[in-house]
Amino acid sequence: MIIILFLCFFNNISSVLIKTKTTIIIKKGKIIMKKLTLALSAIAAAFSASAHADISVSGSANVAYLSTAASTDAEKLAVGSIASFALSTTTDTGLGISASLALSKDYDNDASTAVDGGNAVTFTTGGTSIVVGDVGVNDTIGSIGGVVNGPLDDTSGVSSNVATGFGAAADDDGLGVSFSTAMGAATLSIDYIANTAANNYGVLNPDSGESAMGASISVPMGAYTVTVGVADNDNGSSAAGGTIAAALGGGTLTVGYSNQTIDSGDHASLSTTGDTTSAGATYSMSLDADTTVAVGYLSNKDADSDSASKMELSIERALGGGASVYLDMVNLSGDAATDGTALGFGTAVSF
Amino acid sequence: MFKFIRILLILSVSLFIFQSCSKGPLGGDHAANMAKLDKLYGKCKNPHRKIVGKDRRMLCEDKQRAVGPGGKEKPPLTIANLAKNFSREGGVINYQGMAINPFLWQASLELLDEYPLRIVDSQGGVISTDWITESTSPNQRCNVKITIKSQELVSNGVKVKLICQQKTDDAWYNDNSTYANEEKDLTLKVLKIANQIKAQDQLS
Repeated sequence: MIIILFLCFFNNISSVLIKTKTTIIIKKGKIIMKKLTLALSAIAAAFSASAHADISVSGSANVAYLSTAASTDAEKLAVGSIASFALSTTTDTGLGISASLALSKDYDNDASTAVDGGNAVTFTTGGTSIVVGDVGVNDTIGSIGGVVNGPLDDTSGVSSNVATGFGAAADDDGLGVSFSTAMGAATLSIDYIANTAANNYGVLNPDSGESAMGASISVPMGAYTVTVGVADNDNGSSAAGGTIAAALGGGTLTVGYSNQTIDSGDHASLSTTGDTTSAGATYSMSLDADTTVAVGYLSNKDADSDSASKMELSIERALGGGASVYLDMVNLSGDAATDGTALGFGTAVSF
Repeated sequence: MFKFIRILLILSVSLFIFQSCSKGPLGGDHAANMAKLDKLYGKCKNPHRKIVGKDRRMLCEDKQRAVGPGGKEKPPLTIANLAKNFSREGGVINYQGMAINPFLWQASLELLDEYPLRIVDSQGGVISTDWITESTSPNQRCNVKITIKSQELVSNGVKVKLICQQKTDDAWYNDNSTYANEEKDLTLKVLKIANQIKAQDQLS
């Protein structure tokens, strides 16, 4: 990493030298007017010395009424807020470095106050972004259909029996490196988690722990954007899938397919090692400059032959000043510990 | 599969080492690509962002909801700016209700100080000189138009346009030439002066 950053600095220094040389050539060339020439004469390399560091503060708050799918005590009121501190700087050579952490009161837990983030540092240039620290791999890549955000997404109460992902919640994120770069109009991301049990400090490739990797690429192809990816955990689980997105009828249609090979020993709701397949679609469109409506559908089937279908609907309206109101709905049917319909409406405010 | 991805990662990092930091291995603008994917999938569901942590996801979703389908994200409150606003006396004039960067604006005025100005619109961020003619080139005249496009002091926050005319048979005609290099140089000059003003402002 240090070598990469050194070369990055070196490359930028080279480009500053080239710019200076170009400026000299321009000065030697024909310049249309004398006074403008004088104005230009002090053009400078000092422009590159525009380094700055900053801390910005932003936050959000949520208030939501939820009618969950739970069989008892289904009605809930969820209130939470978060304050986030973003730390950033830009070096003289244009390398961006940033980190963030947040203080939060979760809307779905009555006693939780947490400090989140601070586990990763991001290095950014015009062509590449590298995150070091707590990074994630997409263990259900191609599995889409979720359009509901916020409180109802986290506490709808519906619970499917279908096994998805790499098993434990921590198996798809941990201490590692995430690399994302442009390749022409395409975007390539490669993620490597050296220790899924740690976030900001830990053993690299522990003897008794797990590591994971993932890669994905998004390529625009005419009116379509195709994203394909793979992910792998050394517990024996892996995933592959893709999505195709396109503008359609004033909105955006996305369809996706995912195949996840899951080891039953790592997944509480699976008794047979085998494949889970997911197929889904979302459609999102703007009704006006402030209102968005989105619908999603996802169908899953796992190696135990459990299958379930989920449908989601979300309507959001921005009110200005950072405030918005929303109405969400989630419906789950099939093999499920809890199926049914959950509804939620509320307001989210971004400060 | 695991080994294959690991090799892919090593290859990618190797490509990164041998490429310029301002471009991807095969060219392309990463930030621009990500902006397109954000628009398509939504920023919080962009498959290349992988937002880790519930709080960061929640913050992202709330911001996205707040701006609506086509809106712009509200810039966060900056502690440095906050402190500066409390401590500032004199320094850069902060034009009332100004929607553009005051350093870029003041730098543009300073650059064109010697020339007669025809348009000075501090709200729209537009300055245009009158026709400038030199005694050494009586048959050529030019005007300079500077547009400030950003509230931030960023390199793409200022645009300079140079229009020149030639006199033929007592009538002025556009010379239909492009002055990309001169426009670029003037842009750099504005940015340099703006950075100097900002540095002085921070010292005061």
